Amino acid sequence: MWRAFVGLVKKEFIQILRDPNMLRLIFMMPLIQLILFGYVVNTEVKRIALDVYDFDRSYLSREFVNSMRAGNYFVPSRSEVSLRDLEERFKDGSGEMALVIPQDFSEKLVKGDQVTVGLVADGSNSNSALVGQGYAAQIAQKFSRQQANLSPPVEIRQQVLYNPEAESVYFMVPGIVAALLTMLSVMLTSMAIVRERERGTLEQLLVTPISTITLLVGKITPFAILGLFEMVFVLMVGVLWFGIPFVGSPVLLFALSAVYLLAALGIGMFFSTVTTTQQQAMFFAWFFSIFALLTSGFFTPIANMPQWLQYITYLNPMRYFLSIVRGIMMKGAGFFDLLPDITAQTVFAIVIFSFSALRFTKR
Amino acid sequence: MRRLRFIAQKEFYHVLRDARSLTIVLAMPMIMTFLYGYAINLDTENIVISVIDYDKTSESRNLADRLYNSTYFSMPKTKVDNLDPECALRSGRTQAVLIIKPGFAKALHTGEPFSLGLIIDGSDNNVSAAIQNYASILLQRFLTERLDPHVRLPVVKISPQVLYNPDLQSSHFFVPALVAIILLMVSALLTSVTISREKETGTIEQLLTAPVKPIEILLGKILPYVVIALIDGIIVLIFAKIVFGVPFVGSHLLLLGFGLIYISTSLSIGILISSLVKTQQVAMMFTAITTLLPSVMLSGFIFAIKNMPVALQLLSYIIPARYFVTIIRGIMLKGAGLHVLAGQGLILLLLMTIAVFIASRKFSTKVG
Repeated sequence: MWRAFVGLVKKEFIQILRDPNMLRLIFMMPLIQLILFGYVVNTEVKRIALDVYDFDRSYLSREFVNSMRAGNYFVPSRSEVSLRDLEERFKDGSGEMALVIPQDFSEKLVKGDQVTVGLVADGSNSNSALVGQGYAAQIAQKFSRQQANLSPPVEIRQQVLYNPEAESVYFMVPGIVAALLTMLSVMLTSMAIVRERERGTLEQLLVTPISTITLLVGKITPFAILGLFEMVFVLMVGVLWFGIPFVGSPVLLFALSAVYLLAALGIGMFFSTVTTTQQQAMFFAWFFSIFALLTSGFFTPIANMPQWLQYITYLNPMRYFLSIVRGIMMKGAGFFDLLPDITAQTVFAIVIFSFSALRFTKR
Repeated sequence: MRRLRFIAQKEFYHVLRDARSLTIVLAMPMIMTFLYGYAINLDTENIVISVIDYDKTSESRNLADRLYNSTYFSMPKTKVDNLDPECALRSGRTQAVLIIKPGFAKALHTGEPFSLGLIIDGSDNNVSAAIQNYASILLQRFLTERLDPHVRLPVVKISPQVLYNPDLQSSHFFVPALVAIILLMVSALLTSVTISREKETGTIEQLLTAPVKPIEILLGKILPYVVIALIDGIIVLIFAKIVFGVPFVGSHLLLLGFGLIYISTSLSIGILISSLVKTQQVAMMFTAITTLLPSVMLSGFIFAIKNMPVALQLLSYIIPARYFVTIIRGIMLKGAGLHVLAGQGLILLLLMTIAVFIASRKFSTKVG
């Protein structure tokens, strides 16, 4: 029994690792994800290209344009082109917003009158247009206060916990751990089992004196080991290279990752029971991974989604695991802080895994 | 030409025979459009904020109401313990805590300087930036409304005007770009496994001994998938119109032309990967990691290219999806014409030529 199991695991490892491309992929996958997710995921709206059409050309109007630079929200460019070309600049994507300062700007301001400045936005990027309008209004208010020599009486003194430097890498690395475990285990497990079926070697394995359950466990153990190895690799690169802080308990994280792995392997196994070719298994796995990533809060917060979709996210095991990993790594959350997530994840893992194992042994 | 047709026909049978794969390939775009269109929303709203009010005056309650009445913030489900606000942040029950110390109302009347405390869960840097931004906007509004209406101030007012997407629907921005991603996903994933499948099942030798040139095999393998991808693209566009109400301002024909170029480019990349690897499993992982993921991340689909580090900005120039995202947004939302977008199309053609060239080289050296 034990010998058969060890033999099976060995066979599986040889099969995975004998292809040099596979070996490369195993190291490339986390690195590419680290670079892409770590450096790219930044939804903060900054450096909006702002075309300035200044019809006043006075000291005050220049001062106003300069104040738009504050906070790096806008990059004003003095445009010599006429207003008629404004849309051309939007169409080829070189301009995002345009500021139109009327001729009587400084005249009115000096008199203490109200003056209206035009702000034209390319609304196709709705988020940047919306946020940009907010910034512009804030800057204009500040500018007005300065002109009137008013200082704001009440200020906000903020204190940012956990990620005060606002590094997106710090936020993404815990997410990558969750994403990697999900993608790797679901894809590889489902394809590995289906491959045996596609080639007809599954029958050979089934007629050997190994029990079905040993076969099953032996088949997925290598992927569990691989998944945990990848996780440690990502964490090491994250901590040593990107310098992300690891506040909480590594032991707790490791234990809960093993529980999550059970769920992910269970899903992979389930896909292998409903597909007949590797191509089908691949599509199922790929589709599930996208669903899991999108509805886990990995890219954008769940609170931004419509209500009905928020209910669906409760069916996504990665949702719970993601908040566990982020909680432990970034906030140093302990077992009791995370109790609701841990309970949900454990229940999921047990249900999915036993359901799939049953389905598999029946076939 | 005749030989090319036979290869294409054979490949078509392969696809049609496998009903389950075909269903997935056709159903996937719909579900993906639906998911992406709703799930990706960068307008951060409903941030959970707790207010700890030590001042307990009508002014301080007024300020708290001001926060909760905006769409930006919402109340926590359970009340946060005054003594240990950090515990609530750690468990994720709240994302920010506003602390109003005693003396707030008094300071408002006397005009003395006063500061409010705001503790923010910074783990998501994007949300934490939004919290800081929204909180100061709302506070400013609160203060401005308390100013004496008789005092005349020189004020600069901004009058915004939004072109192309006046309702600022975020789906109008994401769904057209989704066509680029889904087309790539279908074409690259499908083709990347075709040649490796022949290798795995051992039929590649038969194919190679047949009197066809490698380039004919490659083109014949691409053709059926052009048709499938085109159908998928149309499905997504219909969905965009019906479900999300995305406008289509520009020329349909122009989009079709650019779409064909883009599909061919994606398929060539799939073929290139397929010619490099031996098994379907590796082919798929390879495609996912080197093609799909970078395309989602670096094409400007969700994340602005100009905010990326320079090295990645340079890398984005070899991502075909980058050009098609610009093209389809330009045509659908802004009605951009051929003269604005011709450059993008030419680069796509160039990328396609390079991919086909390398693939056929790799493929023919394997023969000899």
